[in-house]
Amino acid sequence: MAAADSPSTALRRRDLCSRGVRLAGKMRLDVISLLDTYVERQGLDASVSVAAVEGVPVAAVERWDEQTGTQRLLENLEAYRAFRVLLAQMLEEQREQLGEADTALGRALAAVLLQVSAFAYHLEELLRLESRGPPSEEEAELPPPPQLSLFEQKLRGLGVLRELAQWALRSTRDLRQLTKASPGSGSVPSPPDSP
Amino acid sequence: WNWVAHGFYVLLNICSLEVSGELVQSCGHIIPESPVLALGSNFTALCILNESCLDFGNIYANQIIWKVKNRVVPKEQYREINRTVSSVTFNVTSSLAPFLTCNILADGQIEQNIYGITITVGLPPEKPKNLTCIVHQVPELTYPMTCTWDPGRPTFLDTHFRLKYRWPQENFPDCIPEEVNNTCTIKDAQFFVNLEVWVEAVNALGKAESDPLVLDPVEIVKPLPPHNLSVSSGILPTVLKLSWENRISATVMELKFNIRYRIAGDTNWLQVPPEDTASTRTSFSVQGLRPYTEYVFSIRCMKEDGVGYWSDWSEEESGVTSEDKPSKGPSIWRIIDASCSPASWTVYLMWKALEPLEANGIILQYEVTVRAKSSLPSPPEKYSVNTTNLTLKLPNGTYEVTLVARNRAGASPPSVLLIPASNSKAPVKNVRTLPKDGKLWVGWTAPNSSVLKYVIEWCLVSNSSDCIIEWQNEPGNVQGTYLKGDIKPFKCYLITVYPLYADGQGSGQSVKAYLQQDRPSKGPTVQTKKVGKAEAVLTWNHLTVDEQNGFIRSYTIFYKTIDGNETAVTVDPSKTEYTLSSLTSDTLYTVRMMAYTDEGGRSGPDFTFTTQKFGKGEIEAIVVPVCLAFLLIVLLGVLFCFNKRDLIKKHIWPIVPDPSKSNIAQWSPQVPAKHNFSSKDQMYPEGSFTDVSVVEIEADDKKSFSEQDLKPFELLKKEKSTSEGHSSGIGGSSCMSSPRQSVSDSDEGETTQNTSSTVQYSTVVLNGYRDQTPVQVFSRSESTQPLLDSEERSEDHAGGGDSTTRRQQYFKQNSGQEETSADRPCFERTKPTNEGDLVGCAQLQISGQSSQLLGLELEKNTQEAALSDTLVTNTEGQTMRPETVDENPLSIDEMPKSYLPQTVRQGGYMPQ
Repeated sequence: MAAADSPSTALRRRDLCSRGVRLAGKMRLDVISLLDTYVERQGLDASVSVAAVEGVPVAAVERWDEQTGTQRLLENLEAYRAFRVLLAQMLEEQREQLGEADTALGRALAAVLLQVSAFAYHLEELLRLESRGPPSEEEAELPPPPQLSLFEQKLRGLGVLRELAQWALRSTRDLRQLTKASPGSGSVPSPPDSP
Repeated sequence: WNWVAHGFYVLLNICSLEVSGELVQSCGHIIPESPVLALGSNFTALCILNESCLDFGNIYANQIIWKVKNRVVPKEQYREINRTVSSVTFNVTSSLAPFLTCNILADGQIEQNIYGITITVGLPPEKPKNLTCIVHQVPELTYPMTCTWDPGRPTFLDTHFRLKYRWPQENFPDCIPEEVNNTCTIKDAQFFVNLEVWVEAVNALGKAESDPLVLDPVEIVKPLPPHNLSVSSGILPTVLKLSWENRISATVMELKFNIRYRIAGDTNWLQVPPEDTASTRTSFSVQGLRPYTEYVFSIRCMKEDGVGYWSDWSEEESGVTSEDKPSKGPSIWRIIDASCSPASWTVYLMWKALEPLEANGIILQYEVTVRAKSSLPSPPEKYSVNTTNLTLKLPNGTYEVTLVARNRAGASPPSVLLIPASNSKAPVKNVRTLPKDGKLWVGWTAPNSSVLKYVIEWCLVSNSSDCIIEWQNEPGNVQGTYLKGDIKPFKCYLITVYPLYADGQGSGQSVKAYLQQDRPSKGPTVQTKKVGKAEAVLTWNHLTVDEQNGFIRSYTIFYKTIDGNETAVTVDPSKTEYTLSSLTSDTLYTVRMMAYTDEGGRSGPDFTFTTQKFGKGEIEAIVVPVCLAFLLIVLLGVLFCFNKRDLIKKHIWPIVPDPSKSNIAQWSPQVPAKHNFSSKDQMYPEGSFTDVSVVEIEADDKKSFSEQDLKPFELLKKEKSTSEGHSSGIGGSSCMSSPRQSVSDSDEGETTQNTSSTVQYSTVVLNGYRDQTPVQVFSRSESTQPLLDSEERSEDHAGGGDSTTRRQQYFKQNSGQEETSADRPCFERTKPTNEGDLVGCAQLQISGQSSQLLGLELEKNTQEAALSDTLVTNTEGQTMRPETVDENPLSIDEMPKSYLPQTVRQGGYMPQ
């Protein structure tokens, strides 16, 4: 992380963080809304519990408040790149299952996918401002999706969306933490933020 | 020639077909094929002839003729490249697609078409400008982004526009406009990432791109307005609380708001200060409102930082503030009627209902307190009423009236009206009115004293309705106001201004006014009161107030003769009478009258009259002298006649022989020998009538009629009284005689003829006149001489036996009854009238005493006697009264009852 930011860099970071927080907030709202739609359209029970899905990053983390800014950004970027792939797979599966009939679900999935992409871009930009630069895409590349049954696909999709909602919440806090932290205090743990 | 060329062209094509076998092959072609050219550019085309055609038709490049839209391109623009290729170069100036043909002039100067191409002309696309985008929030809570741009000039070519956008790290599919070229909508824009947007225009002549627009779509959002707006009143009567729901999450976008409101029914909006609503919220309390007033609210929102667009206004929602105490007391006034009793008044208190602004709620009741301001303290009287008036009967004096309006929230401040015993204070001066802006302004000059307030009373003056008083209060510091009411144009208003002082009241000063005047609705109806020879007095009634439509400024009287010019006279409006003078006598005049207001006049109906031919006294001045002259002439004539009476009598009125002196013996042809008369000449030396019937009258005085016998005469008199007017003089005797008894041929109708009509005498015998032989002839005579009465009398004698005697009796009685009132004027009238009248009178007298049968005979006799008397009178020229007849009634002897003429014996009835 850069020792001293120029004013424009600081302004840029603050702007990216601010907009990232709003984007994460909106993404969470949209994902929660999408979850309702997804459960309804896929014929699932909203209360069904989904075990951890392979390849889906987990938002929960221990010693969150001890993470550095760069670490937060990297974990977020890794997660959202993974979600981008997962959501793309879901969109493809949804199109294969329902065709063009359920355009509302498809549009909502596409919109969330776009927001995930946008947030990943925010993270990449922030990492660039950290003078580190984002890791290459290959690093986040997921293994090809396993051959799952249709129901398993639905459950997997449900798990992806639930975890994405969790990540949206965590990202909001991460970015706020980054905003609060001074540019040079990336390694200094910030005070815990209320969830 | 064209047909020939066409035929040759067909032949050439056939030849080409033969040469090429199965395929149609032309003799040349043009390069380039179907070019698209930019306007203004230079264009070169080549026409290349096929080698095969060269030998077949002797066609070479130097024979090529270029044509554009069938017009030959000048040779200067041609260039022969070789023997088979010719080029042409020209500037593309027309926007219309030209058709370029390559033709050849073959042998015989026949022009043949070799090939043709269509040139498409247009322009390359311009760089799209003014690219702007807006994100509309839609009810589905998505955010479509619509971008618009200026596509530039028309290109005349098929130009494709594409809206391109991308994130820095990601490209998106282009947005392609549908059916338009200047707008496109991206279905769902994603916020918080800068989006680069630009427009690309492409056609056959090129491509152009607009300047890129980099923006975060969240900064160009036009959000949906807040919804579910509700309004609720609070404890305070001036506050309403608004609540609503935002349709965009605060997580996504912080909002600020505009709140506008208006009083229901009003069109002007008020706005809550924007700084009060500059942050995200879902409720707001609007303060400073009027109590008990319905307000309508609306709200809109936009991004809190002001970047983006305001939403539309939300749907309106209304609410009513709670009640508050009335802010002021009602305006109060009174009408005092002192006509009922000299010692007390009837006071009509009236007040105006408070305006909603002042009432601040629903007025439940009014409380009136009347306190007498006298030396003796008396408890005030209180009244609670629901109406806006109160009638009180109060003794004369000074009173203080206090009025309070009360609603649910409380009572208003009191309104106080002082009713003084007399309006002794100074009045206002110079009350005047002025119509202004469709309203009636009233102004006055304030009195010197300090005025508490003014009361302006007014009412509409009309014939058809009473003057219903309206009024209004004005503060004491003004000297003019507009009347607050429905003031109608063309109506007369009586306006009175009262000054009210703290300790009394001034008398009212009145003025009449119109908001707007018009011509009178009708004109006055004029008529003549008196018409003279050269003047006429015209009179009319004033128009009623309803007909005036304004102040009558003047009357104008128009009058004219039938063929004369109309003359106009202007008359003061206060007058109702006018005298037209210098008129022409005995002339028909037409007169009408117009009444004028400030706006014009209207004419009343025409009235015609004719002036008199003579003036007053002129007729008398003419008639009196004429009458006097006539009388004088008559008098002179009478005197002349009197002086010359003998001469006149001789020529005009010869002496008629007296039949009583005639000798019947001589006259009767049956007993001529017995006649012992002297010769006719001797008896009537100058008379022309020699034939005389002699009537012998027997005077039988031996018997007299008793009173009972006379009663029938009385009845007869009554019955005959109606025929008095018809009784004829001499003829009357025939009238009264029975046809059976009469010898004459006269019928009943003839006998009723008037005196002036011809009387037919019977048995008039015409003897020879003078020396002529008398021949007894019965004929009719037109004579009215009374001598024939004797003849009739002889008939009577022949018919009735003792009639003569009875008649004698009658005459005696008649003389005794002469004093009856009915008789006297009859005989008195007899003197100047003719014989008929005389007979009539006598007949009337007699008939009243005759009986039915006997009366007839007696009547005849009596008439005859009377006629004889008259005859004697006339003959002798002296008046003989009936008394003279009766002087010797008993001297008449009894006569034979034969009709035949007999010798008059001594003692017979002899007319004297």
